Amino acid sequence: MKVIKVDPEKCTQCHTCDLWCGIEIGSETKELNDAIHDTPQPVPRVHVEGNNFPLHCRHCEVAPCIDACPNGTMRRDPQTGLVYVYEPTCIACWMCVMVCPFGIIAPSASFHAAVKCDRCRNMDYPICVDVCPTKALVLEDREEGATWYGYAPKRSF
Amino acid sequence: MDFIHRKTADLAVEHFLKEASEKEISLAWDRYEGSLPQCGFCETGLNCRDCLQGPCISHPFRDENKVGICGKNKDILGAHSFVRLVVQGAMGYLDQLAGFAWDVEAGEGSPKRKKEAEKIVADTKAMFGDGASEVMGKFPKTLISDWKAKGVYPKGLAGELFKVSQKLDGGVGNVEDLLLWAFKGALIGCAAQMLQGRLKAAVFGDTAPKELEVNLGVLHKETPIILLYGHFSPLLKQKIVEVARGEKVGVLGVCTDPFVPPFSVAPVTNYGSQEIPMMTGAVDLIVTGDQCVNPSLAELAKIWKIEVVPTEVLMRGDLTSFAKEIVERAKQAFEARSEVSTDIPKVKESAVMGFSAKDIDANKVVKALAGGKIKGVALLAGCNNVKFTQDQEITSLARELLKKDVFCISEGCASVSLAKFGFLNPKQRDAHCGKGLSGLLSSLGKSVPAVVDLGSCENSGVTDFLLSMASAGKKQIRDFPMVACFPEANRTKAVARAAWTVAMGIPTYFWPFLPVTGSQRTVAALSGFCEENFGARLHVVTQKMEYKEKADLLMKSLEKKE
Repeated sequence: MKVIKVDPEKCTQCHTCDLWCGIEIGSETKELNDAIHDTPQPVPRVHVEGNNFPLHCRHCEVAPCIDACPNGTMRRDPQTGLVYVYEPTCIACWMCVMVCPFGIIAPSASFHAAVKCDRCRNMDYPICVDVCPTKALVLEDREEGATWYGYAPKRSF
Repeated sequence: MDFIHRKTADLAVEHFLKEASEKEISLAWDRYEGSLPQCGFCETGLNCRDCLQGPCISHPFRDENKVGICGKNKDILGAHSFVRLVVQGAMGYLDQLAGFAWDVEAGEGSPKRKKEAEKIVADTKAMFGDGASEVMGKFPKTLISDWKAKGVYPKGLAGELFKVSQKLDGGVGNVEDLLLWAFKGALIGCAAQMLQGRLKAAVFGDTAPKELEVNLGVLHKETPIILLYGHFSPLLKQKIVEVARGEKVGVLGVCTDPFVPPFSVAPVTNYGSQEIPMMTGAVDLIVTGDQCVNPSLAELAKIWKIEVVPTEVLMRGDLTSFAKEIVERAKQAFEARSEVSTDIPKVKESAVMGFSAKDIDANKVVKALAGGKIKGVALLAGCNNVKFTQDQEITSLARELLKKDVFCISEGCASVSLAKFGFLNPKQRDAHCGKGLSGLLSSLGKSVPAVVDLGSCENSGVTDFLLSMASAGKKQIRDFPMVACFPEANRTKAVARAAWTVAMGIPTYFWPFLPVTGSQRTVAALSGFCEENFGARLHVVTQKMEYKEKADLLMKSLEKKE
């Protein structure tokens, strides 16, 4: 499974990743000059908040959001292992928002859905990695089930 | 975030691009691609570095980050972005004028019309102090009283430019007020350009249109070659050419005024490809002024062992000995570089350049407009921008406009772009123009080309021509079907120029889009508010469009006035 690795030493908090995430993923036009004036305001999936660390969804092996979701809206792609929101069935109950340990799921009142990073699963390359000017974000292979403490937890589906 | 598909439309330049990539020499286009994606906040004017608490941005997608630390919101940021560009651009014109005027005052050179030159220097001094410049009085009275009513008519010019620059540092104001200050700043630049043009005529005598050869083919390997880059004192330029003539050293120019009467320096190429002439191996020494000179030249010069002499240094000495030193160093460099191989493409085009307002009979133009022979007047200006295929936008637009019987005038680097493609060659005139326009041009003179070059950005040929149009037609400038277009702009000077063109009442299209688009209110004010106040809009176009669509936009804007 490929995950986004963040190097805080390289991050300059320039906000280029969340700007382009909002444009490319959050807007319909995908054009800078149109997206910045969109209403409702596009919701970026990556958050740069103060600590030189652009925060993305970690696509946890044991994902509390999947377990908390009452109707199977929060899903895992069996091929890639990526966790995503199936928007048509989202009832905006914000259970996932409550349980996410990283606080990266945005409760979007205007879109009536939970909005989170799906690591651009329908694209060749995540947009944030593509635009990062200092290469603080890179796409890396993570071995299936690998953890630093040596055993693989049971993956949540 | 667009990568460049085709770098240039100029085949002579393209010849060297392959060599550059083989030798891994990075040129402007490579550096542009390396900088992608460019900062979206800067591109849309949603950023600010005006104090040390920042840098601040107004994040379009984060509610907690919509205003800067001092409270600048996106509208203020957008307007400030415009003010900043205009101030810097106006300073460019003022600096050119100052450098020249102080040299004249110091007794360098011997002015042809001494009294007039002294008067202009005095006028310049008054303008730099607190007094109004007399040159602004050349504008029609109604326009001046209009400007006074809006508060944009500049009085003590430099004093007011300080004020404009301080608008960036704080204070409370709305977008519209800020824009009016920007227009005031731009008009100061306009006055400076007019003074510089007049001072040049007083010192060197009037210029006449002259046939020049343009493009890389003008280089040769037989004698040492000095290349003049950018803007510096015309008196130094004249001295260099004078000394070089005696020593059989060739002097050519890039992004510099080609006319220093009685001499002229042929333009080798234009802004976008300013690094290319060095790659021919035929250049021995470059003299670099300020403004349109890429700092990259210094590193590239090392590859071909080219001497670099900056003119705008703190201690320069007197002009004659400096010029002699430059020519001497060029000769030494020529000897030292005898083993450097040369590759000069045989591409050159003949062009008649350097018209001034008096060379074009405004009465005939006004009559042709009234009689419907021509559909309007279009000003083509601006240099090159790496975001567009070099020269492609401007030449395709010119081609479209000429076919549709629009009288095209051009200025500065835009003229060199057009000259490279034969638009300034009188022999090709009828091939480019529609019937009505062809008739007008041939009545204006035998050697008038399809596009009329009204001089570089160091003289105010265009403004003077507009003034003579207004007096010939007994109309306000804004009442003529006129449009200005900057198809490949890149300098802050172009922004200031666009601003004062709008202030005169000429609708202006500017590409690429100005970094104000983060604020819809600023974009709207540049069109709606400007239309109310000056009778013309500054169009900020964000949609990507082909040259045909652009030409249609320009035509529509001309039709509105008819």
